[in-house]
Amino acid sequence: MGMSNLQFLIIILLSPLLQGIIRKMKAYAQGRIGPGVLQPYWDLARLFRKDMVISEAASWIFHATPFIVFLSTMAASLMVPVTTPDAPVLAIGDIVALLYTLALGRFFLVLAGLDAGTAFGGEGSSREATVAILVEPMMMLAIFTAAVAGGSTKLSVISKSMHILDSPAHVLAFAAFFVALIADTGRIPVDNPDTHLELTMIHEGMVLEYSGRYLALLEWAHYMKQMLLFTIAIDLFFPYGIAGGALQSALFYAAKVLVLAAAVAATESSRAKLRFFQLPSLLGGAFVLSLLSLITFVMLGR
Amino acid sequence: MPLIKRWIEIFGAIDFISVGMLLSVVAMSSSKRIESCLKAYVINSWLLALLMAAFAVYLSIPHLYIAAFFTIAGKCVLIPYFLRKVIGELKVTREVEPYLSTPVSLIISFALVVLVYSFIAGGIFVAGAARNVLKISVSIILISLFTMMNRKKAVTQVMGLLFMENGLFLAGFSLTYGMPTIIELGVLFDMMMGVMILGVFLTQIKKSFVSVDLDKLTSLKG
Repeated sequence: MGMSNLQFLIIILLSPLLQGIIRKMKAYAQGRIGPGVLQPYWDLARLFRKDMVISEAASWIFHATPFIVFLSTMAASLMVPVTTPDAPVLAIGDIVALLYTLALGRFFLVLAGLDAGTAFGGEGSSREATVAILVEPMMMLAIFTAAVAGGSTKLSVISKSMHILDSPAHVLAFAAFFVALIADTGRIPVDNPDTHLELTMIHEGMVLEYSGRYLALLEWAHYMKQMLLFTIAIDLFFPYGIAGGALQSALFYAAKVLVLAAAVAATESSRAKLRFFQLPSLLGGAFVLSLLSLITFVMLGR
Repeated sequence: MPLIKRWIEIFGAIDFISVGMLLSVVAMSSSKRIESCLKAYVINSWLLALLMAAFAVYLSIPHLYIAAFFTIAGKCVLIPYFLRKVIGELKVTREVEPYLSTPVSLIISFALVVLVYSFIAGGIFVAGAARNVLKISVSIILISLFTMMNRKKAVTQVMGLLFMENGLFLAGFSLTYGMPTIIELGVLFDMMMGVMILGVFLTQIKKSFVSVDLDKLTSLKG
């Protein structure tokens, strides 16, 4: 069982690599060479060595948030089956618990954005909260479709019960989940991860006041959350091959993560960022997709 | 052939294709541009033809191949071509101008699907490969009816009518496992004629009222 207890380390240690790979894919799609795939590691290492500048107006929330965000993401990654169907902490490893553990981190991040009292932080926080309200129900519905199909809300049971997109309901639910994933990781139709342009930033706006170690923790937690969501998507919709031997399932996992990363990079390179007030129609459309996925599941009975 | 038959059964191809048709109707009912409505119609028609071919293989009804072929020729090629020409000639603006906003019409489409499911689930029972197709086809008919009511422009109402006919066709051949070819051909031919007449009609409305916005038809003209 050693393997299944240590599999969360994959998410913690390899998530900056995934970010580097997505950046590299994006760079290729845009005709640039781009930084190396290990660049996020160097960035994190550099940030950990730097001093911090902290606003005088900041309260304890500002200091606690990086640790809460990092630890809640780490706790969430303990509940996810990565390369074996059994998650390390199976007893509490329910998908609803997982999502709301992530939501705890997001809640504190929103508070910390408001805490330093800058205009951009508040702007980022209010936008993040709006997007979160729109994304959460559709993500839950998409997950519930897979949960109803799998007969359980435990990721391990769901991932053991199916192969690859078993029914039309799964296809619709995956489409909705993919939009939720893009919105949650702050990628292009919703947020632009590459700029600090005041008028458009969401995630960057909230962490604008952070520097040094705290920023490194927040960035790392963001990478982990991205890889975590990828892993959830794989467990819910493409778990084929997860129950094989250690090497085989690791290879399957790597291939599936790369395919999803390519899909995300392709979406980011081919789409323009939406105006903030157009987001409800994109996310509302995805919400209806997830509703339809549930009703088609009930209607078709599979 | 037996191999393809098994694939259709294993992958549940009939369910996938019919849900795809439902999805393209929902996309049509929420899209803002006439051009994307037309694209949704082409996709819907290709899926219809594919579904007919799947039925033909799965149930070994060879004359459904002919129907599928004529569906492709008529609904995927000729009608879209003709509609594009009409839209180009009318020089209508690209937006569809619905009465309700996109999210509201999406929610209503979803509510219609739920309604259909809750009414048909207990009442009508269809066995065999087409057991789910009837529910989906009735949903398609209702959603396109709703879209026709929701749109101001005549062109988009024609589009709703075309979608409705696709839904009816789906219901027809899934219930009867293929009507006689002559009837299918007749329906297709009627459809073609209908679209052409509507095209001429639209041009006439445009000529005498300057706009194809049907709201303007209610005001008197002196």
